[in-house]
Amino acid sequence: MQSTLIKPALATYTALFLLFLYAPFVVLAILSFQTGPEGGPQFPIIEWSTYWYRHLLGLVPPSRIAPLPIDESLLRSLGLAFMTMVVSTVLGVASAQAFRTRFAGSGIVFYLIVLGMMVPGVLVGLGMSLVANALGIDRHWWSTAFVLHVVYTFPFAFLVMLAIFNRFDESVEEASWSLGVPPGRTFRKVTFPLIFPGVLSAMLFAFTLSYDEFSRTLFASGRDLTLPLAIYGTFSVEIHPNVFAFGVLTTLFSFALLAVYAALMTLSIRRAKRVALQEEAA
Amino acid sequence: MATILKLDNVSKLYGSLRALDGVTLSLPDNAYISLLGPSGSGKTTLLRVIAGFERQDGGGVLLAGESLDGVPAHRRNIGFVFQNFALFPHLSVARNISFGLENSEGTARPSAGVIAAKVRDIVALTGLGGLEERGVAQISGGQRQRVALARTLVTEPGLVLLDEPLGALDANLRTRMRDELRAIRERLGVTFLHVTGSETEALAMGDSLIVLDRGRIGQIDAPDTVYNRPASPAVARFLNCYNLFEGSLGEGAFVGPAGRFALDAAAAASKGGGPAYAVRHDRIEVRPPAAPAGADEVRIEGAFVASEYTGATQLSFFRLDDGRLVEVEAHLSHRSPAAYGADERYGLVWKRRDALVYA
Repeated sequence: MQSTLIKPALATYTALFLLFLYAPFVVLAILSFQTGPEGGPQFPIIEWSTYWYRHLLGLVPPSRIAPLPIDESLLRSLGLAFMTMVVSTVLGVASAQAFRTRFAGSGIVFYLIVLGMMVPGVLVGLGMSLVANALGIDRHWWSTAFVLHVVYTFPFAFLVMLAIFNRFDESVEEASWSLGVPPGRTFRKVTFPLIFPGVLSAMLFAFTLSYDEFSRTLFASGRDLTLPLAIYGTFSVEIHPNVFAFGVLTTLFSFALLAVYAALMTLSIRRAKRVALQEEAA
Repeated sequence: MATILKLDNVSKLYGSLRALDGVTLSLPDNAYISLLGPSGSGKTTLLRVIAGFERQDGGGVLLAGESLDGVPAHRRNIGFVFQNFALFPHLSVARNISFGLENSEGTARPSAGVIAAKVRDIVALTGLGGLEERGVAQISGGQRQRVALARTLVTEPGLVLLDEPLGALDANLRTRMRDELRAIRERLGVTFLHVTGSETEALAMGDSLIVLDRGRIGQIDAPDTVYNRPASPAVARFLNCYNLFEGSLGEGAFVGPAGRFALDAAAAASKGGGPAYAVRHDRIEVRPPAAPAGADEVRIEGAFVASEYTGATQLSFFRLDDGRLVEVEAHLSHRSPAAYGADERYGLVWKRRDALVYA
């Protein structure tokens, strides 16, 4: 009786939710096909065109609208996100591994790590720039900003890995030791393959969080801008649909990343299924 | 017989709980030893200390005369078979078996050819032929058990610890694997220490039987000695085939709430751990209430509660006047199951010399 009402209600709610989630992006995508260079970032669409995509790639004759300063900042952001991903994931796996056994002060250390994702980014960025000034350190995207990105994304990687280890059956490691396999090799040959889905998720978190990080980077990155900063910089003059076109392209890039993630995930889920079956039998 | 493993006063604490409380024992080489203990008796802890997964808080462990103090698990040369098998889910059957040889430390690693030959031998011995390329989820429970065993045995450990290895199998398979475990062990001549919570398994498997009682050794003896002459009331209780009566030892008799049991001169108070009085379920005879007891017999009265028919035996429960239950087991090989009237009183009679008395 009740479920006949609840189900359609929930379905409507979900549909509305998804609509609100994606509506801004859909608007962006539509407006990115506005004609140029005279068309602006608003409805109605004067004429459909791919002008702003060509503008982005420098394929149109020079006009009064300057090209988006993205080429270098894009590379910077990708580089920064990659470095952050590698370091945060390694730290996340290592520290979650440490937390598998209780150690003195583990409670405090836990909160200190998690604090990195809690504190307001603007304050941390400002603090970092003050510290850097006081110590006479130059601010760069690859130094001060990089450190802040790691401080920010490492807790995410750590929490993901903590959840993974929480469900990890330690007896396979003990089995490996009892077969004469040293702990280091056991980690590489047994533990790591089994926690790999979690490692992938931690990498994805670290990369995406770093790639569009704004507030921390704002104060800490110095002269050379990362992508979010560069795009924000163009807003202060005038907004043109080329930003929307770029937004569409980055989103497609993100989807490509997700596809890679999904592919790797399905591979390791096949393994996970074997684990589940084994546990079921036990 | 040479000693393979020696435990000297081993203790292990979890907070204030003494999981192991001064365990001292030695295991002979080339034997099948079963270790029986109820849950919470410290049996798994004992295995984990021997294997090096956990460190004892006191005492020493010696393998073939050498102290294992500070030796990490992977250098102990002790195999461990887990109750949940703990197979490597990302590897095939063959790779599970060869894992230990392929990844052993440093110079000890044999060549690929030697590994392949050893794997082939152990696959044949454990009856896993034809399954080598399967994933470990694609085989049955019994086959997984064999893989767990093969994986351990192929590394030629000095001692194999089995932690309730048959616990995850169904009853039918369990009986078959018992025989196989014994046969495989005999072929290889290595000592098995088999931990179990099942008294029938412990009695059936072991050349000798260790009973663990709250972190201490309760008894080490041949299975039939443990069964017929449990060293303490606690051991008798684990065996799950004795009626135990509390009370105190008087002049020529054991006196308790259940009555006054006259003692046989020979059976009188030889063992400690009591006072308690024990009679095996199958040593008690049920008689009509009017029938008297013989001169060498002890008789009490109880009201019939229920009985359980298991095919070969009939287990009946009688309630005594003080409220406690007495179990009587009748073997049905030469008689038919008896029909008792509910709540009717019967005489329960046993021979004085069949009783065990603990001072």
